[in-house]
Amino acid sequence: MSGPRTATAASKSRSRGGLLPVALVTPAVVLLLLFTIAPAIYAIFLSFRRMKVGKGLLGGGKPTEVWAGISNYTSTLSDSEFWASLGRMLLIAAFGVPLTVILSTLFALCLDAKRARLVGFARLAIFLPYAVPGVVASLLWGFMYLPATSPIGGDVVNYFGTKGIFFSVANVAVWGVVGFNMVILYTAVRSLPKELFEAAELDGATEFQIAVRVKLPMIAPAVAMVALFSVIGSLQLFNEPTTLKPLANAISSTWVPLMRVYTDAFVNNSIYEGAATSFVLIAMTVAATVLVSAVGRRIARRSTR
Amino acid sequence: MNLRKSAALGAVLVLALAACSSNDDSPSATGSSATKGEKVNLTYVNWDGGMDKVVDEWNKLNPDIQVKLSKPSGTGYTLYNKLITNNKAGTNPDITEVEYQALPALIANQVVVPIDDYVKGLDTKYDKASLSQVQFEGKTYGVPQNVCPMVFFYRKDVFDKLGLKAPTTWAEYATVAAAIHKADPKKYIGNFTAADPGWFAGLAQQAGANWWKADGDTWSVAINDEASKKVANYWDDLIKKGLVSPQPNWSAQWNTDMNNGTIVGWVGAQWGPNQLPSIAKDTAGKWAAAPLPAWTAGDTAVGIWGGETEAVTANSKHPAEAAKFVEWMNSSDAGMDSLIKNVQVFPASPQGQALPALKTPPPFMSTQPDYNTLMATAAKGVRTFDIWGPNANVTFDSYSNAFGAALQKKTALSGALDTMQEATISDMKKLGFQVAG
Repeated sequence: MSGPRTATAASKSRSRGGLLPVALVTPAVVLLLLFTIAPAIYAIFLSFRRMKVGKGLLGGGKPTEVWAGISNYTSTLSDSEFWASLGRMLLIAAFGVPLTVILSTLFALCLDAKRARLVGFARLAIFLPYAVPGVVASLLWGFMYLPATSPIGGDVVNYFGTKGIFFSVANVAVWGVVGFNMVILYTAVRSLPKELFEAAELDGATEFQIAVRVKLPMIAPAVAMVALFSVIGSLQLFNEPTTLKPLANAISSTWVPLMRVYTDAFVNNSIYEGAATSFVLIAMTVAATVLVSAVGRRIARRSTR
Repeated sequence: MNLRKSAALGAVLVLALAACSSNDDSPSATGSSATKGEKVNLTYVNWDGGMDKVVDEWNKLNPDIQVKLSKPSGTGYTLYNKLITNNKAGTNPDITEVEYQALPALIANQVVVPIDDYVKGLDTKYDKASLSQVQFEGKTYGVPQNVCPMVFFYRKDVFDKLGLKAPTTWAEYATVAAAIHKADPKKYIGNFTAADPGWFAGLAQQAGANWWKADGDTWSVAINDEASKKVANYWDDLIKKGLVSPQPNWSAQWNTDMNNGTIVGWVGAQWGPNQLPSIAKDTAGKWAAAPLPAWTAGDTAVGIWGGETEAVTANSKHPAEAAKFVEWMNSSDAGMDSLIKNVQVFPASPQGQALPALKTPPPFMSTQPDYNTLMATAAKGVRTFDIWGPNANVTFDSYSNAFGAALQKKTALSGALDTMQEATISDMKKLGFQVAG
């Protein structure tokens, strides 16, 4: 990226006194501390506590919070339903992530092709689903899946079947994010120097060859980033199955890990176990992020060499 | 220039923060206890359609105690769990609606307070069954509002055309279900819903189940008892034969099926006509209500589905005034009259059941003038659990998951009851309740 320019800007502002950058960053830092770091610390604290009711039939005394040690963690990790929910999430990620990356790359390269027409309209059309809020998108797809209201053959295909449900959920998720990722990749393609393509063309490369042999390797870092986004996104899968849940018997309230966190905290009223489960999830998310970005960097480095 | 800009930005931020914090002084901060002649403002949360008119009437009659109604963002347990969470922060409204089965959980979490000091003489106005829904350990936590006996709704036009009558026993229900399905394989007499634990609980009550019992301070739990398994097996059989639809209630699918005549019956409850307009608006006047089918002919026992009271929260700074509102609404003629007309409530109080407003049927059942007479008869046969458990929320969540999975995987429904039993007991033990067995 534009390394030298940012460097000069930084040194310039430093020479004018360090106050402005500090002032500019402060709101973000304060917000981060208040709404992310502080609740996270409180959640860690909660994950080691539990509720104990008072004496009497309905706990006549005040319910008290007591120290729970690691019991919340052990009960999460030893619960087969937790691992099942993790399995479902991974299964959906196994469809969703590659599909998102492949489709958004394909769309970006197609839009950049010389022969592409109606580029502005197509770009908008592909991006539009991203502008639809996740809950609305899930409801909309829910109507399309249900036999009584389906325009896409819901009375023939069982979209809420034991196997079909995975495809149905992944489809909603992919539909929603492909546009956003396409924009990232499209921007990356557009910022490549045009001379390269002209040179390739003079050398007799076809449009397809340029796309695959020249453009694709050069946007590899961006593709890796898109993959990373998709992995993190699939770990946070919640909206789609939660919204589809009331429509069919196929989705339970602990269908994916985040739904379990929600159910623990807000249905079964055990924020303690919910906090513990979310910390297990955070650990997994960090691990996945490190892994994907390491692999992504390696691939990117090899392809630009 | 840059400096000036950032100063302006800073000012905006400070203003924004100030604006946020000034939101905090809620009406309850105006005075800790009501002195005579001072106006009291109460907040009340309720999701029922038409409740605003009831509140308006109270406000007109009581200029000194003004109630502000708000709709919760979610109904049922979404609301109750929010109340439990907000209780710690002290931000709950003064009064909340509570379905009977959720009251023990709110009491155990100290969200609601007893109103015995403010409301007297309930014992003379209500029968024991109604009072047992709001009285625990000798304290009263609300005035019973309504009683919701289960009944059978059916499309009279379709039944008449096929020469069928509303079934009076569950055996007949199965026969009628088969006849309807045979006449048109696309039609069903009804559905089995994994979305409504209260529905199944009501059916289990009718069959004689008693999911919770209290003996001193010790609970016993029997969700997978013989009676409940009998109900589960009965529906299992109908589902396996394809005579009822396994689609959950309240989904777009169910609404469409109810509206277009795919589903021509509904094992529902007294409040059905209040909901049917939004479920099946095109079928107004085509439905009729009949007594719930019985297990043995002539038995009048029915379970309840739903039913609620209003409770005063621990956060309220004016519990006396709040209790006064609750009492007016649920046990005065004016309050109950308004509830019947605007919310189509069937009052729990015998005095309320004699009100003239009940002589007219709910608008959706305009073709059945004796609708409320039927409800009054059904209400006499109501059979409920001894007590709702203190963690009915866990039981109910487990119902949806276990029955949903059983329907999906086509395994025995009665197995789901074992899952519910296990989940309920283990959660009770974890919370520190004494559980027998």
